[in-house]
Amino acid sequence: MAALLRFEHVDAGYGNVRILEDLSFEAEYGQILGVIGPNGCGKTTMFNACIGHITPTSGHILFDGKDISKFSPAKRVHMGIGRTYQVPRPFENMSVFENVLVSAVHGAGHTERQGARIAEEALGITGLTEKAELIAGSLTLLDRKRLEIARALGTEPKLLLLDEVAAGLIETEIKDIMKLVADLKSKRGLTIVWIEHVIETMVGATDALMCISEGHELLIGDPRAVMDSREVEEVYLGASDEEVNAA
Amino acid sequence: MSKSSKIRVVVILAVVIALYVIPQSPLTTDNTMRIGLLIALYCTLGLMWNLMAGYTGMVSLGQQIFIGIAGYNVAVFATTFGLPFWAGMFCGAGISVLLSVALSFLLFRMKGMYFAIATWITSEALKIIFTSWEFVNMGGGMTIKLRPYPDVFELYYISLTLVIGAFLVVFFVLNSRIGLGLKAMRDDDDASAAMGVNIFRAKLLCFMISGFVTGLCGALFYINQGSIFPGPGFGISWTVAAVFIVIIGGIGTITGPIVGAIIYVFLSEFLSQYQGYSMIILGVIAIAVILGLPYGIVGTIERKFGFEVLSTRRTMKNLLSGGRANVDYSRGRDLRVSK
Ligand SMILES: Nc1ncnc2c1ncn2[C@@H]1O[C@H](COP(=O)(O)OP(=O)(O)O)[C@@H](O)[C@H]1O
Ligand SMILES: [Mg+2]
Repeated sequence: MAALLRFEHVDAGYGNVRILEDLSFEAEYGQILGVIGPNGCGKTTMFNACIGHITPTSGHILFDGKDISKFSPAKRVHMGIGRTYQVPRPFENMSVFENVLVSAVHGAGHTERQGARIAEEALGITGLTEKAELIAGSLTLLDRKRLEIARALGTEPKLLLLDEVAAGLIETEIKDIMKLVADLKSKRGLTIVWIEHVIETMVGATDALMCISEGHELLIGDPRAVMDSREVEEVYLGASDEEVNAA
Repeated sequence: MSKSSKIRVVVILAVVIALYVIPQSPLTTDNTMRIGLLIALYCTLGLMWNLMAGYTGMVSLGQQIFIGIAGYNVAVFATTFGLPFWAGMFCGAGISVLLSVALSFLLFRMKGMYFAIATWITSEALKIIFTSWEFVNMGGGMTIKLRPYPDVFELYYISLTLVIGAFLVVFFVLNSRIGLGLKAMRDDDDASAAMGVNIFRAKLLCFMISGFVTGLCGALFYINQGSIFPGPGFGISWTVAAVFIVIIGGIGTITGPIVGAIIYVFLSEFLSQYQGYSMIILGVIAIAVILGLPYGIVGTIERKFGFEVLSTRRTMKNLLSGGRANVDYSRGRDLRVSK
């Protein structure tokens, strides 16, 4: 079995609104799968389905060969899925350290003392050590994004779901994040699904690339080939045409 | 332990010892004991509502379920079976825990207002059942007969021990791993679930503790009162009192309910001459406090001075340095640095 994460014909959405329609794809062990697609196509929704904030109305989500479609979020985290939020959602009234401690204790199942070491390491990797005792609500956007990654790492995931962690950052910050993600893959053997807006650098940073359009996988495969394909170009052109028309 | 936390422990111990010793002085009257007893019980009631609403976001409007059940248990055990009051008290608290487990399916399905209303409806249903149940003398209520009847001093000491126990339980829960999860849930429950917090289990634990301790509290209220009727026993005013106490004191603060309970008991003593208007006056006061001090009295003071009487903050230094102290009292400093 080569896929750590597998979507099989998944339909999912919010209330009666269906966002994901017959979505199927795989993320292979130890690989980075990049995910692109126009705004509102359902990328974040796909993560919500992975972690269990929403349940598929049909189809299956398999993790490590097991059908997790009906599991609670906590159970999925215990199995090894860690996620970040596109719009950071830190525990605002807790310190940066406590934020990561929550995931090390509840996600990875450590005692508070063991968890403190995991948290220390995660804060080190993400460059937040100096800010460990600050209240998370007081952080800048960049630090909030770092905290998202640190918190997801605190759960000691096998599969890391990154939702636009580079968006809104400046060039040098993006380089840092790119390097961090590459290290997580090579040094820790994490499997990573990485949503990012079309950035040329994604081609070099990912092992496979998927483009989602209207909740359905449009194309998945070699990053270069996907990025250069006519379908992807059309989806993005279509999207920007609409934006031009709307403006 | 740091110096400031040592001072704090000494002050807390001194207050506790004083509360046990003062009643021995010849100046205390039955009436002061009665007031002290009520403050202890209302404080417990507030603490338990706060454990649910202030830390897990479960707004219960049904705390009177546990009060009424335990009150009736005491009455039935004492009057019908001639058993000592503590038998009814603990049986009532035990049944309260079972009820909270039985009601926990509501926690699965209902969020926010729906949970609140469901707990209220349950208490109203119990009121109707007890009003038509012959075994408990229907609407006629029950007198609690005990020989010897515990006097106000004895009840004061039991209630004081209960409220101290309730504080210890709350403090212990908040300092446990579940407490860490509760704090995360309070800030963002979806995100906490995505970090592995088992929300249902944490909520159920708090609901069970709340049921048990509120049950003990209800038993003592009714032993003090001497008789119980279904209407007031399962009346919403128990929860109204708890909400008032917690909102005035500061929701989600550990020590807020002390301040809230003191104010509540003195106000209701004073307002007892204005029968019928007292609820309205309490309501107006609560609204005024909410508008002026949105975090309650203790909550506002803590925010202003960056100081917590009892803190559950974890710091990296403390947890990594070993030692038993996984409680750090220096939140104030951290808060000010970050602002
Ligand atoms: N919590 C929600 N409730 C209802 N609709 C939502 C919610 N979150 C996102 N949507 C809708 O779902 C669609 C897909 O959103 P999303 O998955 O966030 O897109 P993106 O690909 O940009 O991440 C959008 O139309 C959005 O408005
Ligand atoms: Mg998105």
